Amino acid sequence: MAHITINQYLQQVYEAIDNREGSFCAELLSFKHPHVANPRLQLATPEDKCQQVLEPPYDEMVAAHLRCTYAVANHDFVEAYKFQTLVVQSFLKAFQSHKEENWALPVMFAVTLDLRIFANNAEQQLQKKGKGQPSEMLEKAAEQLMSCFRVCASDNRAGIEDSKKWGMMFLSNQLFKIYFKINKLHLCKPLIRAIDSSNLKNDYSPAQKVTYKYYVGRKAMFDSDFKLAEEFLSYAFDHCHRSSQKNKRMILIYLLPVKMLLGHMPTHQLLRKYDLMQFSDVTKAVSEGNLLLLNEALSKHETFFIRCGIFLILEKLKIITYRNLYKKVYLLLRTHQLPLDAFLVALRMMKVEDVDIDEVQCILANLIYMGHIKGYISHQHQKLVVSKQNPFPPLSSVS
Amino acid sequence: MCPAQELRDREAQNRLHHFEMLPGTEKDRRPKGDPSRAVKEYSRPAAGKDSTKPSDLRPPPVLLKTVNYLINDIAAAPSLYPWTEVYTFVFDRLRAVKQDMIIQRMSGLDCVVILERTVRFLIYASYRLCGEPLRLYDPRINDTHLQEYLSWLLDCYMTKTGPHPNQEEFQSLSLLYNLGSARAMQHTMQLPLRLRSTPNIKLALSINQAFLERNPVRLLRLAQKLNFLQTCALHRHLLTCRQDLLLIYSHGYSSRNCRFPLDRLAKLLFLDASLTAQLCRSYGVEVNKDNQIVFSKAAFTEPGQGTLHCKLYHSIASEKQRDLTVKSIVQSCVETNKK
Repeated sequence: MAHITINQYLQQVYEAIDNREGSFCAELLSFKHPHVANPRLQLATPEDKCQQVLEPPYDEMVAAHLRCTYAVANHDFVEAYKFQTLVVQSFLKAFQSHKEENWALPVMFAVTLDLRIFANNAEQQLQKKGKGQPSEMLEKAAEQLMSCFRVCASDNRAGIEDSKKWGMMFLSNQLFKIYFKINKLHLCKPLIRAIDSSNLKNDYSPAQKVTYKYYVGRKAMFDSDFKLAEEFLSYAFDHCHRSSQKNKRMILIYLLPVKMLLGHMPTHQLLRKYDLMQFSDVTKAVSEGNLLLLNEALSKHETFFIRCGIFLILEKLKIITYRNLYKKVYLLLRTHQLPLDAFLVALRMMKVEDVDIDEVQCILANLIYMGHIKGYISHQHQKLVVSKQNPFPPLSSVS
Repeated sequence: MCPAQELRDREAQNRLHHFEMLPGTEKDRRPKGDPSRAVKEYSRPAAGKDSTKPSDLRPPPVLLKTVNYLINDIAAAPSLYPWTEVYTFVFDRLRAVKQDMIIQRMSGLDCVVILERTVRFLIYASYRLCGEPLRLYDPRINDTHLQEYLSWLLDCYMTKTGPHPNQEEFQSLSLLYNLGSARAMQHTMQLPLRLRSTPNIKLALSINQAFLERNPVRLLRLAQKLNFLQTCALHRHLLTCRQDLLLIYSHGYSSRNCRFPLDRLAKLLFLDASLTAQLCRSYGVEVNKDNQIVFSKAAFTEPGQGTLHCKLYHSIASEKQRDLTVKSIVQSCVETNKK
């Protein structure tokens, strides 16, 4: 259907709307579909044509879409973003007037997805020219998506089959993508709450659920709720389609540090399979209690870890590395009363130079407090007295 | 600094602040306004009110002058009034400045200078007014505004119409003020390496790392290296750090026969012995008559709200203030720092 005329195109749109063919209509408005490359449709002023065939607000929506294809053809994403905003706004007008029906949801998915993508591109274009506030476009796009979200979330009258609430998770996922990008994670909270309290939350499509759990898992990770993060990210990893290796890799980037914090170390094969060898030395260092290697590994791959936003979580692995190092001290000395000096010597061997006995005591006290060591410190004798049974409980048993 | 109409109105309604009255008329039944000292007050945007009237808006140079006046002539000047009064006045007028800035979508270097001074003022105030009664100073409100100014300022830095000579100072202040916040740390980690490796930001990062590792001993030691304003920014977290220390020590040293010397603990907490003992007791930690501490994990309890006064434990900051004046703190902290 390449190179159809504008009249044919408009006729198709008209029929799709008239027959309530949501998916077909979505294609006709999506930039994933080849019609956007059709030069006969890339018009600077399609308004009159659209008005002749379509009712308002559909005429506005389609006219804006065509002008958007024109802008994209000229590589002007700032302009494209402007018109895509218009598409979403006029779509929303139509959508709100659809009482107790939700056939247009696929259209909403298509136009909001493109909106986010154009906001992204527009922002990059502006940044290159040194114009505009950072993340201004994305924030505005988020506002548009939020107004769609509100329409969906407040659709209480329709029955489950016809409810617009089926659009909530898709929109949340799009919004998460933006909020993570602009580092405003606190804005995720109301969305999560809305989905959590919705009765549909388990019935969305697997793909949407995987994306949703991925972001909620990452959010939990930043709130230091590692148990929850593990649950959500594991779900995402297990349910992600096996052909989506790239997505599985992305999930692992966050699942691995969380698992490691909870004491589960990844195998070499897994890291190799997903091309995540950056974690290899980190894993080795943590399990061996090798602080020196850990610091080296962290600084070697610093850029990668920072870009993924996991550098700080990996820093937390230090606590576990201390635990593993101190366990070695215990295994070497084979006594239940361990001189504190021995721990200081161990740290010095790891080139941790700027510590003294006070800090060693503080680290030990924290490990005892967290349950990683069973025992107590005697200040008078300068000794750590550990329990005769199981002085270093397995990591997975300590939360 | 104040639109003529507003000055007339407030004069007629007797709503002038002492700081705005014409000297000599303060005792009059209806004191006269001094046009050179009156400052536009904050008023909520409301329906039907046109806040974009050009005659009521102050252009950027006037806003900058206003901020300097508020800091130098009001906040820093010796005053007959208590500092809470000074704060309330300056806080309100700075808020009006912000409103004018937003309406005009101000950006650029003037904007940065105004935001920087405002942030310094609010950080200093959060320390100086700590512990004042709620009706005179509300830390929550101060915090909300401070966070807004800070994030605006950091956004300004991002747009890179620099140079921003004070960026290092404010990035580190933001990190210290928001100790332990994943968001603030992620932001800092994403700064260019050149900035991230400057001494102030490095120090602020190590303090945050110590916090992440829950190592209050290290944290408090590193805090000694901060300058006065940085300590003010961190100060709201210090009581929590000391609480953390007592908490983990209560677990780590929990044994009936063991003792921990008070003076040693005092050194770790950077407090004197009597304050340390007082702090211990408020957490249920026993100090015996030989000045020995008996830690016990069962005994540790968090004190009820309002029983601890952060202000008592201010020595860490107050020792650094010495002869710094408010003016030098707010205008050019960097200068005093480098000496």
